Amino acid sequence: MLKHPMLKYIREEGPAGKRLPFILCPGCGAGQVLNYTLHAVDEIINQPGVKKEDFVFISGIGCSSRLTSHYLNFDSGWTLHGRALPVATGVLLANPKLKVIVFTGDGDAAAIGGNHFIHAFRRNINITVICVNNGLYGMTGGQVAPTTQPFTITPTTPYGNVEEAFDLCKLATVAGASYVSRWTTAHPFQTIKAIKKGIANKGASFIEILSQCPVHEHKTPVEMINALKGMTVSIDKSMNSNKIPVGEFHFAPRPEWTERYEAIIEKCNERIS
Amino acid sequence: MVEAAVKEKKYPGNFRRPYIKAGRHYLEGSEACVEGALVAGLKVYAGYPITPASEIMEHASRRLPQFGGRFIQMEDEISAACALIGASWAGAKAMTATSSPGFSLMQEAISFSIMTETPLLIVDVQRPGPGQGYITTSQEDVMQARYGHHGEGPIIALAPSSVQDMFELTIEAFNLSEKWRTPVLLMVEETVAHLREQLIVPELDTIELIKRKKPQDLNISPETYLPYGHDIVPPMANFGEGYNINHVGLVHSEDGNVSNYSLKVHRENIDRLHQKIEGNVNEIARIESQFLDDCDHVLICYGSVARTGLEAVKEVREVHGIKIGFIRLVTLWPFPEEKLRSLISKVKNVFVPEMNLGMIKHPITEALRDKCDRVISIPEIGALHSPEKLIDQIIKGSTC
Repeated sequence: MLKHPMLKYIREEGPAGKRLPFILCPGCGAGQVLNYTLHAVDEIINQPGVKKEDFVFISGIGCSSRLTSHYLNFDSGWTLHGRALPVATGVLLANPKLKVIVFTGDGDAAAIGGNHFIHAFRRNINITVICVNNGLYGMTGGQVAPTTQPFTITPTTPYGNVEEAFDLCKLATVAGASYVSRWTTAHPFQTIKAIKKGIANKGASFIEILSQCPVHEHKTPVEMINALKGMTVSIDKSMNSNKIPVGEFHFAPRPEWTERYEAIIEKCNERIS
Repeated sequence: MVEAAVKEKKYPGNFRRPYIKAGRHYLEGSEACVEGALVAGLKVYAGYPITPASEIMEHASRRLPQFGGRFIQMEDEISAACALIGASWAGAKAMTATSSPGFSLMQEAISFSIMTETPLLIVDVQRPGPGQGYITTSQEDVMQARYGHHGEGPIIALAPSSVQDMFELTIEAFNLSEKWRTPVLLMVEETVAHLREQLIVPELDTIELIKRKKPQDLNISPETYLPYGHDIVPPMANFGEGYNINHVGLVHSEDGNVSNYSLKVHRENIDRLHQKIEGNVNEIARIESQFLDDCDHVLICYGSVARTGLEAVKEVREVHGIKIGFIRLVTLWPFPEEKLRSLISKVKNVFVPEMNLGMIKHPITEALRDKCDRVISIPEIGALHSPEKLIDQIIKGSTC
């Protein structure tokens, strides 16, 4: 039987298997994001000197966080709502050699986890943050999120949203991320390339992926993916456009947290010996 | 000496041996706690400053890199507790110290680490509340330690009463957390954390250290490894070892699967977590006692109150001739009900002095329901009981 090439990384069978089907709704963009991420990880694992056990996946709570939950056949932790970044930080404090990937959503990253979001990027600790942004709280019923556009009607904004939406890429950039890019689920190859670059960057990388929630938006997945293509424009053509820019926003490698701390450890040990 | 290290400004690692030396020291409780943790193998400290717990954090920031460990000041107490969870999953012994308001912020992470069976140490240097309360001493979090986190999660909590305890119980706390694969709380009071007195460090190679059981030790292969199975305390693989461990906080079966939910799976999961701690209470919990042979009354206390309590008991016995025994709870949770009952046959009054309005008096009352006539709480807020107050209350209570 012909199998999806990325199923080898999913707990499909075996003693710790039988996890499928995914909990995600049909047409959800999170599955695409997982597919793109695993393609990027697969390409890196196939490079010499990289092992599968070097990768650790951490997530918080929400639809996007279910990507890590218990499906992935990697070392992984499915943690508290908004707290994936501090848990990932702790993993690197104990073992800086690991490659830590965080799956998060817009609510998880920008609302409850907003404080950790800015500080993880300020520290430039070696985490690749993949944020599935569908502009709402999917798991709890489609409520308003910090990324929801003004005037949108949602279950908790029945008369329209009075707040402005966060631009997460701008936020990550000013907080100090050393790699920032935005794509959509309608840009598979660009997304895979961006995730690969994010993982290769020694520092905090942020990749935002605009995604569709057909269930709460009451549209078909095809309509929504086409809309994502239509509402976005490449960053170099975005100057006089009111569309959402996509592409690589920021790439400026700078000293990483554990590297800087390593110098302190070395200096302390010089004194001791 | 550690004192010299504290005074030096830059990289105070210039003593020949990084570990605290065996012998006599004159140390603050906070420093003894960190030194004990380093002996136990502390590798990650993540914290957030708060009075009166900051001294532990500052000392850890100076000492940890000397051992190749990493110290980080996080953005809040929530992230500090969460960083410990990640560090523990990656194989490190990890700790933090906070005070009561910060301890409240850590409760969700404590509950999560009970469910994911993550060994870590949280030190709560208690201050009085509610709200900001004040920065003096208190025992007002002892119920929060057990019941503050959401859900039916058993916890281990220890109560040190001296600088010696701060050293020894920190090591014991790490041992308990590694052995039972669970978070452990060190319920310190400001009075003990800021106390400066003698510490006698034994020869380091005589100190027993316990490491978590790993699947490699039991010849369990990654293909057959069940992260929440094999034993009542499941062996724990670290990240990066090829065991593909999935840590989940949702109700799960032995293999970590959450998609086969049933009430049976749910109840088995909670029952094992509960049995792991409460079912082994006699092995986990410790009680110290004196003068119990002939006593008509007994005083039960914990933490720094045990110091005043013991003095009061001695004086009441010697000067006033009242036959009163002394019990100190070293372990607060799991509550050592059976052990406590076995120590006491029948007494008239049980006195429970606490730096709160009467918290541990409740499990004591329940435990000794048929073994005493009365349980008399001696509350104090914001400061230690004076010996005079205790003596006065004991005399009044035992003569009326």
